[in-house]
Amino acid sequence: MILFKNATLFDGKNFYDGTLDLLVRDGKIEMLGQNLSEPGAETLDLEGKVLSPGFVDLHCHMRDPGFEWREDIESAAAAAAAGGFSTVVAMPNTEPAVDHDALVRYVFEKGVRAGYSRILPAGAITKNREGKELAEMGKMASAGCVLFTDDGAPVGSSRLFRTALQYSQSLKVRIMEHPEETSLSRGGQVNEGRCSSIAGLKGIPASAEEIGVFRAISLSRETGVPVHLTHLSTRKSVSLVREAKREGLAVTCDVTPHHLHFSEESVIESGFDSRFKVNPPLRSCEDIESLWEALADGTVDAIATDHAPWHMDEKDLPFPEAPFGIASIECAFPAVFTCWQKRGKPFGLERLLSLFTSGPASVLPGEWSSTGSLTRLGKADLVVLDMNLERKVAVEEWKSKARLSPWDGLSLWGWPVLTMVEGRVVFDRFRR
Amino acid sequence: MEWKHRHVLDLKDWKKEDILFLLDQAKNMDDLIDRPIKKVPALRGKLVVNLFFEASTRTRVSFELAEKLLSADVVNWSASGSSVSKGETLRDTAWTLEAMGADAVVVRHGASGAAHYLARKLKRAVVFNGGDGAYSHPTQALLDAYTAWKSFPNLEGRKMAILGDVLHSRVARSDIQVFKTLGCEIVLSGPETLMPFDVKSLGVAYEPDPEKAVKNADIVYLLRIQRERQEEGLFPSLDEYHLRFGADEKLVSKAKEGALVMHPGPINRRVEIASSIADGAQSRILQQVRSGVAVRMALLYLCLGGVMA
Amino acid sequence: MTLREKAKLMNETDMERAIRRMAHEIVEMNKGLEKVVLVGIQRRGVFLAHRIRDVLRQFEQVKVPTGELDITLYRDDLTLLHDHPVVHSTSMPLDITGRHVVLVDDVIYTGRTIRAALDALMDLGRPDIVQLAVLVDRGHRELPIAPNFVGKNVPTSRDEVVEVRVSEIDGVNEVVICERQEG
Repeated sequence: MILFKNATLFDGKNFYDGTLDLLVRDGKIEMLGQNLSEPGAETLDLEGKVLSPGFVDLHCHMRDPGFEWREDIESAAAAAAAGGFSTVVAMPNTEPAVDHDALVRYVFEKGVRAGYSRILPAGAITKNREGKELAEMGKMASAGCVLFTDDGAPVGSSRLFRTALQYSQSLKVRIMEHPEETSLSRGGQVNEGRCSSIAGLKGIPASAEEIGVFRAISLSRETGVPVHLTHLSTRKSVSLVREAKREGLAVTCDVTPHHLHFSEESVIESGFDSRFKVNPPLRSCEDIESLWEALADGTVDAIATDHAPWHMDEKDLPFPEAPFGIASIECAFPAVFTCWQKRGKPFGLERLLSLFTSGPASVLPGEWSSTGSLTRLGKADLVVLDMNLERKVAVEEWKSKARLSPWDGLSLWGWPVLTMVEGRVVFDRFRR
Repeated sequence: MEWKHRHVLDLKDWKKEDILFLLDQAKNMDDLIDRPIKKVPALRGKLVVNLFFEASTRTRVSFELAEKLLSADVVNWSASGSSVSKGETLRDTAWTLEAMGADAVVVRHGASGAAHYLARKLKRAVVFNGGDGAYSHPTQALLDAYTAWKSFPNLEGRKMAILGDVLHSRVARSDIQVFKTLGCEIVLSGPETLMPFDVKSLGVAYEPDPEKAVKNADIVYLLRIQRERQEEGLFPSLDEYHLRFGADEKLVSKAKEGALVMHPGPINRRVEIASSIADGAQSRILQQVRSGVAVRMALLYLCLGGVMA
Repeated sequence: MTLREKAKLMNETDMERAIRRMAHEIVEMNKGLEKVVLVGIQRRGVFLAHRIRDVLRQFEQVKVPTGELDITLYRDDLTLLHDHPVVHSTSMPLDITGRHVVLVDDVIYTGRTIRAALDALMDLGRPDIVQLAVLVDRGHRELPIAPNFVGKNVPTSRDEVVEVRVSEIDGVNEVVICERQEG
């Protein structure tokens, strides 16, 4: 039983006025109010710090089963907890791919055993993510998977994508599409634009992503089935989603912290450091501006990390030889918060926090869609944030196995200091 | 003049006075090549490793000559037939060389950014970029500048046309860096499929008509056309390339009188250049080769000489 | 670290007189100028060599061949130079093999510059005799090298620096002694 006192309370969409107390008992939020007291409860005086629903990450690569030297469910869950996330969706591009119910259960149970953040499995759309045959989506949904995605890659054929949308409709589990027209992006290393021209590296054109976005929206419209687009990075991509929403279509999308922070210039300025190599690539400064506008006007529903850990030996290579992917979950919120501050707070803090909480939760199936909200008698998934705490990112101390990240050494503000999942403290920099 | 460049990776941060100083020093090195005793002890006792992952005889030999003329000890480490082909990473190779006492590494690699990568990994040795991917070939650009400077001591305001496959060319990107800093106006020409996406980001213009591009140019610079690009479908045939963009008498006559014709070599006769031009009076191709040794000597001396442990 | 000028050792007239005397001594020691070649060490030695050449032309009516020698690439004490050594030109008007080479420099101190100059000369040819003319000898030799012709002997301490200034480079002809100072 824990009593949080003097918290600036965020409920997933809005702040409460003033400061409040919040009592957690038996894994639930028992009461919120002024001047609460509960004998026998451990009392934590937050002194005005923000108390928010624990963050929800829709997109995290845990590499488990199959690539455990890069990361495993336990290290990923511990890292997520340190990042303030109480719920994380595990991507299914593992070895074997999570394309049937036994593996969905494996991921879920291993997450429970690890005892940190709650791990919710995503299932592959196609068998072994080959893009040829539908995977057993019904069985996976029953086993508890919360999203279907072939991420790492787009769905193989438009025809199969359409079929998957239709088939999954009644399962109430959303499809998350990684939008990419691979014939255009093949061989590409960086953004096609200033970076590719100056660096002499093959460019990935914006059209590769836009065509994928257009396809998904078109099929969603035709089938009437919701679709979620992940890691959008270009101006035109968010503009297409904006129009789709205006049209009333159930199209949602997320954006990563790195696409909000770093541009294609970082590749050259860093001397071709592979820590800046990611797919979709870091884009132009104009694209970044469009993403921030889309955050402000509600076009973007969530910020998802696309945490992609690699072993040092695999990632520490000359740029063209290194794999794509940025590891970020332990500093994702501070990274975005610091950018938001530096940009002069272009929208309210409640909007920013909702992108980490109620926004992503709304994409999850019914039983999990309240994880991003703070309600009386709801699960006590909470995070305490110290917005005034400044710390340098130090990857050697990370709970994730990843040791290369573009934020390494940078000073960031807005750190989670305590994370709670169903009343259990899973990360604690507060009480120590 | 204080020499501030530790490694030579690209020419992005070189100011005009850095380049002119280097060219001046190269001139004094040039005289050495004609002496009866072609050696000075300036780099005596220094170990230079030529680490070449891409086959290249001319650049490697040019560097090797420069190193030996300065009395350095030279080791050639080529990727084929060495541990690198067995899967040793570039990083481990670099550390191995440093453990063996290398004072400098000249590296040529197929990955853009490889020289920068090596410079990050080495603690003591100095890195010279002998060409990385399609990004940079700084010593080539400097020897091109030296060759042009010998004919035109003042390059400010002159016009340079670069013809060919700029998209895949580290030579072009580096020449653009150098000649722009020296004040030249640069125009690119060639098939659109062989141009970078955002030519403006390089600070140059693109002119699809080669005769217009070359008009009034002081320097006509030709890039090598590789057969692989034609096989990738980026242009239909070498013959068509020659007809449209090849430097023959007709094209070169549109340039200013006395314009220099340059090429990094090796040349493909009847593709990017006609024999009459390659062997003609305006061609500076052989001078470029000679300049290569002098410029590399100057760089080796400035970055390595006078640095004692 | 700065240099503070302490005293003037030679003015323009003193320099002219010393150069004239050294020129005559060169003629005397070599029993004429038939085989003599003057080689000035870059940078100020070159201009001093020109002046000796001009004096010889005036008094002996002989134009003595004069070359310039850059010894930067032969130095062994590069770490002692705080500015990066700049390579200047080396050019000989003729083959020095069989000749009497008179090296000319502004100041001799440790002798290491002259050692480097001897190495450089030997790579250019095989002179019969090499002699050394310096405007100022400030002592503190570290090698067994002695000049044949000296303009002025000046005892100095290691904190001091002797600067020979020539109008072609410095705008004025004089020799001064300076002191190193912190700050």
